[in-house]
Amino acid sequence: MNGSLDDYSRRRFLGDVTTGLMGVGLSHLLGGEALFAANAGRLDWKPGSGMTHLQPRAKRVLQIFCPGAASHMDLWEHKPMLDKYDGKPLPGEENFVSFQGKNGPLMRSPWKFAPAGQSGKMISSMMPHMAAHVDDIAFFHGMQSKTNTHGPGCVFVNTGHETEGFPSAGAWISYALGSLSDNLPTYVAIPDIRGEPPNGKANWSNGFLPAKYQAITMAAHRPIRNLRPPKTVGSDEERDTRAMLRRMNERHAELRPQESELQARMGAYELAAKMQLSAPEVSDFESEPEHIHRLYGTDSQNSLKAAYARNCLLSRRLLERGVRYVNLYCSSRASGVDGLLNWDAHKTLKDDYERHLPIFDQPTAALLSDLKQRGMMDDTLVLWTTEFGRMPTRQNGTVGRDHNPDGFTLWMMGGGVKGGASYGATDDFGRRAEENPTTIWEFYSTVLHILGLDYNQLSWYHNGLDRRLTDVHGHVIKDVLA
Amino acid sequence: MFPRWFRSLSFLETFSRLWIRYKPARRSGSPFLGWNAPSRRVLFAVGFLAATSASAVDFETEVAPILEAKCLSCHNQNILKGEFSMETQEAMLSAGQDILIPGNAADSVLHWITLPISADEPPEMPEKGEPLTESEADALAAWIDAGAEWPEELVLREASKADKSWWAYQPLTTPRLDSIDAYIGEALASSGLVRSPEADRRTLIRRATYDLTGLPPEPEAVAAFVADKDPRAYERLIDRLLASPRYGERWGRHWLDVARFGESVGFEQNWIIDNLWPFRDYVIQSINDDKPFDRFILEHLAGDVIANGDPNVEIGSAFLVAGPYDSVNNQDAAQAAQIRANTLDEIINASSSAFLGMTVSCARCHDHKFDPISQADYYRLYATFSGIEHGEATWASPADKKTRAATLRPLSESKRALESEIEALDARVLERSMERLPDFQSRWTRPPVSRIGMAETFDPVEAKFVRLVCEAQDLDLESNRLWRVDEFEIWSAEANPRNVALAVNGGIARGEARRIEDFPNAYGAQHVNDGKVGIRFIAASDRLTIELAEPTRIDRVFISSAQDEQAPELFKFAFVADYRIETSLDGKTWTEVAHGRDRKPVDRKPINPARGRESPYITHLEYRLLHLGATDAEHVRKTSLRQELASVKRELARVPALPTAWLGKRDPEKAAGPFSVFIGGNPQRSGDEVAPSSLSTLSEVVEAYALEPDSNESQRRRALAEWITDADNPLTPRVLANRIWHYHFGTGIVNTPNDFGYMGGRPSHPELLDFLAAELKENDWKLKALHKQIMLSQTYRQSADWREDGGLVDADSRLLWRFPPRRLSAEEIRDTFLALSDDLNLEIGGPGFRLYHFMRDNVSTYEPLDTHGPETYRRAVYHQNARASVVDLMTEFDQADCTLSTPRRSQTTTPLQALTLMNHSFTLDRAERMADRIEEAAPSDQEAQIRSAYRLAYQRLPEPDEIQVASALVADHGLRALCRAILNSSELIYLD
Repeated sequence: MNGSLDDYSRRRFLGDVTTGLMGVGLSHLLGGEALFAANAGRLDWKPGSGMTHLQPRAKRVLQIFCPGAASHMDLWEHKPMLDKYDGKPLPGEENFVSFQGKNGPLMRSPWKFAPAGQSGKMISSMMPHMAAHVDDIAFFHGMQSKTNTHGPGCVFVNTGHETEGFPSAGAWISYALGSLSDNLPTYVAIPDIRGEPPNGKANWSNGFLPAKYQAITMAAHRPIRNLRPPKTVGSDEERDTRAMLRRMNERHAELRPQESELQARMGAYELAAKMQLSAPEVSDFESEPEHIHRLYGTDSQNSLKAAYARNCLLSRRLLERGVRYVNLYCSSRASGVDGLLNWDAHKTLKDDYERHLPIFDQPTAALLSDLKQRGMMDDTLVLWTTEFGRMPTRQNGTVGRDHNPDGFTLWMMGGGVKGGASYGATDDFGRRAEENPTTIWEFYSTVLHILGLDYNQLSWYHNGLDRRLTDVHGHVIKDVLA
Repeated sequence: MFPRWFRSLSFLETFSRLWIRYKPARRSGSPFLGWNAPSRRVLFAVGFLAATSASAVDFETEVAPILEAKCLSCHNQNILKGEFSMETQEAMLSAGQDILIPGNAADSVLHWITLPISADEPPEMPEKGEPLTESEADALAAWIDAGAEWPEELVLREASKADKSWWAYQPLTTPRLDSIDAYIGEALASSGLVRSPEADRRTLIRRATYDLTGLPPEPEAVAAFVADKDPRAYERLIDRLLASPRYGERWGRHWLDVARFGESVGFEQNWIIDNLWPFRDYVIQSINDDKPFDRFILEHLAGDVIANGDPNVEIGSAFLVAGPYDSVNNQDAAQAAQIRANTLDEIINASSSAFLGMTVSCARCHDHKFDPISQADYYRLYATFSGIEHGEATWASPADKKTRAATLRPLSESKRALESEIEALDARVLERSMERLPDFQSRWTRPPVSRIGMAETFDPVEAKFVRLVCEAQDLDLESNRLWRVDEFEIWSAEANPRNVALAVNGGIARGEARRIEDFPNAYGAQHVNDGKVGIRFIAASDRLTIELAEPTRIDRVFISSAQDEQAPELFKFAFVADYRIETSLDGKTWTEVAHGRDRKPVDRKPINPARGRESPYITHLEYRLLHLGATDAEHVRKTSLRQELASVKRELARVPALPTAWLGKRDPEKAAGPFSVFIGGNPQRSGDEVAPSSLSTLSEVVEAYALEPDSNESQRRRALAEWITDADNPLTPRVLANRIWHYHFGTGIVNTPNDFGYMGGRPSHPELLDFLAAELKENDWKLKALHKQIMLSQTYRQSADWREDGGLVDADSRLLWRFPPRRLSAEEIRDTFLALSDDLNLEIGGPGFRLYHFMRDNVSTYEPLDTHGPETYRRAVYHQNARASVVDLMTEFDQADCTLSTPRRSQTTTPLQALTLMNHSFTLDRAERMADRIEEAAPSDQEAQIRSAYRLAYQRLPEPDEIQVASALVADHGLRALCRAILNSSELIYLD
């Protein structure tokens, strides 16, 4: 079963409201999430119905994205050889040219790595809070990308395609699983206070899937658009206008009893009204106790950290209330000054990351701890992503690192994930994925598997092909499954 | 029975050898260039193995089909997965790695790798798809054991699902019946159905007016049409609508969807394109003019070739560059080549799907899996488009260009003369100054300004304000802007000096800074007195001022742009070269307390070492010498020359620029052949050579062409266009006729208008499609006649009412037992709102309006607007549609995103639509204006007002019960409440 044309109109009529952005969760009607097609093929899988192909291990996703290419060898993957060979040429690749030009000698990470957790996994000492979670994380240290440019890189990591126009993972999963809430969006993107990531809204696009599968954007600093009635419309007028509208639409629909789309449209107005009530509540943090605010750092003197912390808190509140997929950003685009607004540390890595890491560390770790203490981590899949890695060398004449698509780290944790696993590795210097090179298609095959979806069956016909999140590739990495 | 994997006698032995060779517990190599065969297999069991018998097996009939079906999709010469092809015997034998050892199946990888690893583990190969059946495996083994005979000339090919006999590639059939209704009626009858009766006149005029113009009919036009007894009234209505300029706006929009027309470049930078609108106007005008579509296609692919110098035709080929492309400069040669290949792929994809309904892009990495499109075909188009580049160009006639050049010439000459005079003067001054260099140098007693920190001490002075004034920036000495400061310290003159500049000590920093709209303080002055380095102020003027908490005696400042930096020479740390420090008590009168003119000049280093870029500016030493060494007369002369030069430049700027348009550029170097297939789609791996030529797909029906590799790129595009519009090409008219049908009825005869191949839909009425295609050609490829023919048919005019008999047999109304009802498009909804409020500005063409706020800081951000002003009250087709932007109302109602061709819009129903239509100020504004309009026409008669609202919106009068309910609402909340409900109502946005 897939998005072929034969069921196009059926979906159009039945599916629109039931699977739409913040549509009513049909899963409720069908008896909840446990429903899955034990033998795919025997039982028809219905996208958006809450049905899955396999027993799901998680039912919602939090994807944290650090745009700008967060350096694997300065955050997650310890490369002691860089200390030893600091200032010496990279063997076999002296003076090679990458995205911005020539590269100089190898450069050690500016900070020490320290063992963390029971496992003693070495991560950068600049992330003391994240260190508490490493035992629950499965690292993918052997990631590779097809592109070394931020925009296509971000889109590649979010959609599985380096060119635009394809649905993001959140859109695919919204389409596949539908909504868990009847008064909140299914898929929310939370851009950073510093702006949108490279390639902007294409990162949470529906691509060629119907528009209802795109993310709603909101943030602690920016509510959902058009959520409140116009200021000059009083509540009586609003109520009576809605009542009038309902009568008009009912009358129109009664004369056309077979047009289910008209019923769906009335349902959409009811859902919108519910959402107007529930969405502001999500962004109202006053009910959160003081210790939670302190945990996240919403009170930080660093205004950028405080803003990101509020977005972390918002993420938890959204997930808690039934949002299926949250795509949370920590930093934004490539500005005129490399590394200022995001992790793109071309010239001055130490400076740049000493700004970015303190923003990232505590709030992110707090969000993970909070999900754990509420028992939500058991059925939430957390992904940490960035578009590619950075070179082990210093960019010629600088103290920064250029783009490196040949090796980088992503990670996942939560429901269905084997904590403490490290899958794949780059070579001694971090230049290239060497052990178990991994593609984003395999990463998402694994994500879909954890959500109970077969990456091969999740497809949609578009211009000549049944398109998939994992393109024509895919392979579940069992090594990271619990 | 023993499991099959036990059979091979030397299985274990072979396996253990191979285990060593393949062993990687760690996989290696790039996943994008094919895996080195991974092996996660566990040694499963030991057992007794029986040799396969070596009976004669016929390769061509028994073995070749297995290889073609199960191996060749990866192991072909264009993909070379595992670095070998299985297309020929030679390729197989030279593949190495014991893949094929004639006479020895047991040791041949080809054999054992296709056997299951264990009862639960499928064989390692084929990696994808079904494993070999037992009998297939036996046949393969028998063939190997028998010596692996392979006829020398035999080349295996993985067959596509459809071949050249596919229906879409056949010549048009001769029409058997003579009307649309006849074909539709026949198909209905065979399903036991009949057409529905004709719709009433109100429904018809509403349907036809929206269909052809995208706007609601005027109430007067409805009344006149309903009352018109002339049997040809309906035909006259269609004629009138087709003649309206609104027709081109509506149908032009359809084509713009197909042509993936978007007005930003997409990808990371996504810069807005302000001069592609002429293409949009060209499309609208061509459709209004009923330009023959074969000519229209020719102009799209080669307008610049067939009418060089005629801007109105040249603009057609802006189609080629109307899509998104990656505009980021990439120094990595392999990545740059890949990006270039992606750019051309976008053009190939857009062209082949728009005109031919072919998915040629699926043949980029390998032969098309479904359609008879070879990978060579793909690269034939690649060669054809290889000279195209994105970008703008002058868009003017040769005469206009000549006139402008003539106006510019004398001005340019004086500019050049003045510039060389200044240059000569500078050279003289420099030469003379160099002789006095020791004298100057003796005055430069202090070390040069350092970006790491510049300290100035002075006699204690009472100050409330302290400022740094830049006289020359240290990279571009002629400029006094764009310098940076990370910290500005001001020390009090006391026993325990304090940095009184600090914000925590009450200091306030002010200075005009570079601004980013969506992150306004990114480079603000507040960074200079926060006590931290790392983030810096970027000056947009020549000064940076600190106001102290109270007047303080101070005697020292310390200012830096790159404190603690290891590479302070980088461009991003630009600082002041010549400067002065001034203090003030009132902020009005200033006293200089220090300056840098007695410092040695700054040495310069390359500004971007990674790219080896040298500074284009004069050095600080030269700058100083020019200022110090000139005589008074020379200073006067230079000032006057500069004034003259500035005035000439102003005059030059006043000469109106020639218009530009996003026409794209042509690069003969990029177009230079020879061209070849890229193996696996990888530009680093060249395969067989290809020439710019026609697609093999249609070789049986259209005469082929093949151009020389060194042919002119313009010739290539013209040849392709002529081949596409060749009278024998059946695909082009079929695809076009189907699009027309699709827009009239909501679904095409083929319901995948961009894909007439195997994966696309099958025609619901194949003969009717050929009939329409033939009519189109008969009508000289003009659309209006076809519209009329379709709209005059009973099929089109029938009622949209649901019928049980029809619904049971054909719920989607594909057979057209009724007219399929539809929702209005995003553009129709917005235009209707404006029309109902009588605010629709019908101005045709020109630059588009924006429903977003565009911001640029290296890359682009598009923020939707909360209010839509009168400048946006134009038809939605004139909106400047940027890629990856979200626009209220338009996005929610399924406007095409225009990143990819959108041959068919989805029609979704979501709560977000409700939120936007209820809450965005645009709806309320429209409701209020609609109410005003109605009240003006019928002041104080509430019932008349309600009737008027219904007539405007629905082209009908309200029933008594409707009036009753509406009256109550209007009485309580005014007419705008009713209008707001109407704008949200289903009846407004659904068409019967």
